[in-house]
Amino acid sequence: MSTLYDRLGGEKAVNAAVDIFYRRVLADGRIARFFDTVDMEDQAAKQKAFLTMVFGGPNNYTGKDMRDAHKHLVAKGLNDSHVDAVLENLARTLRELGVSESEVQEIAKLADSVRSDVLNR
Amino acid sequence: MVALTYGDRRIDVAEGETVLSALLRAGVHPPNSCRAGVCHKCVHRAIDGDVPAAAQEGLSDARKSMGYFLPCVCVPKTPLTIVLPDDAGPLVDAVVRSIERLAPDIMRLRVETEPSFTYRPGQFLEFVAEPDLKRHYSLASHPEEDNFLEMHIRLHENGRMSRHLSQRLAPAAKVHIAGPSGACFYAGVDLDQPLVLIAAGTGLAPVWGILRDALRRGHRGPIRLYHGAREARSLYLADDIEALTKSRDNLAYRACVLDPDAAHGGDLVATVISNETGLKESAFFLCGGEKLIRRLKRELFMKGASLSQIRSDMFTPAQ
Repeated sequence: MSTLYDRLGGEKAVNAAVDIFYRRVLADGRIARFFDTVDMEDQAAKQKAFLTMVFGGPNNYTGKDMRDAHKHLVAKGLNDSHVDAVLENLARTLRELGVSESEVQEIAKLADSVRSDVLNR
Repeated sequence: MVALTYGDRRIDVAEGETVLSALLRAGVHPPNSCRAGVCHKCVHRAIDGDVPAAAQEGLSDARKSMGYFLPCVCVPKTPLTIVLPDDAGPLVDAVVRSIERLAPDIMRLRVETEPSFTYRPGQFLEFVAEPDLKRHYSLASHPEEDNFLEMHIRLHENGRMSRHLSQRLAPAAKVHIAGPSGACFYAGVDLDQPLVLIAAGTGLAPVWGILRDALRRGHRGPIRLYHGAREARSLYLADDIEALTKSRDNLAYRACVLDPDAAHGGDLVATVISNETGLKESAFFLCGGEKLIRRLKRELFMKGASLSQIRSDMFTPAQ
């Protein structure tokens, strides 16, 4: 059986998702401030890696990078409510792209699995 | 086994092994993360040898043409010489041809170098006026139209390079350059795509090169060039651009000068945003000071431009 990543359309689908997802995140007043000083290309590359992972595409996710990347944000108050907001934006992005509800749920579950790494718990 | 040259080291890449794995095994620890060709953290540049296409997937056409590749998914078949992406390469001799004033606060510096120095208009080089006086400048010249390298340099009060340029440097002086670097040039653009070139201050240097390159390559879509300056007297090259717009029916030019009475106060970002429609389809080139270009990039992206279609050359102040 093909992977979810292949079914969604592989790298092309991830690229389309990154633009929409990133735009939503920057427009979301609950979390936008965490992205104020980042370089947009760097951030887009990170989001691409993250979305590839949650789509089940090629990755070697270990959690360490996720922890390192968010450590300074946790110190600035990053908490569960912000992770919830990101997951909400991810689900909306997927629905906008026409991903089926069962697959949205599958992806949301995978995305939620990085929560404790992001929050450095 | 394939030979990999990295600086002054020679590293053997085993059959089926990736370049990243060979580097790590040899004790070289380049930045890396996903090891799956996705995050682009380990990107390097091949300056000699053939990189398999699979190791360039996901990179922009401009970067591909410069030999950028992802070591974590690169299993080389033939010998490779690779460098870190910000390695400008060895210093090359150059001679000053002319130094002229383009505007009260902007100089045009032209230098000549050996014909083997190749570049794409819009790339930048490191200009070494003296061993301890070096700066990055974007190129305004076109290799097929000009037999010199042209840089536009803003004069800063008490700036070391500014003083050197206006008081000491003279034609025939020997200098050095290194490069070229940068991936902000005409590549990966569809000939029929709307092309939006936005220059702030001396950001016009790369934009002037990119514009002429696009025209030479037969760009057919509409081209809109914006140039922003703090004062009208700093709107240099306006006559040349106006002349070019008269000979091309797909080229439009708009100058913006900060002025409380002008539309949008003459703010370049606000002018572009209100004037541009169909952001999703357009190819963008943004060149100029870091702060303004960051703001512009974010605005364009939020209004619908695709991040992969926004190329930028951001100037940072000298250290």
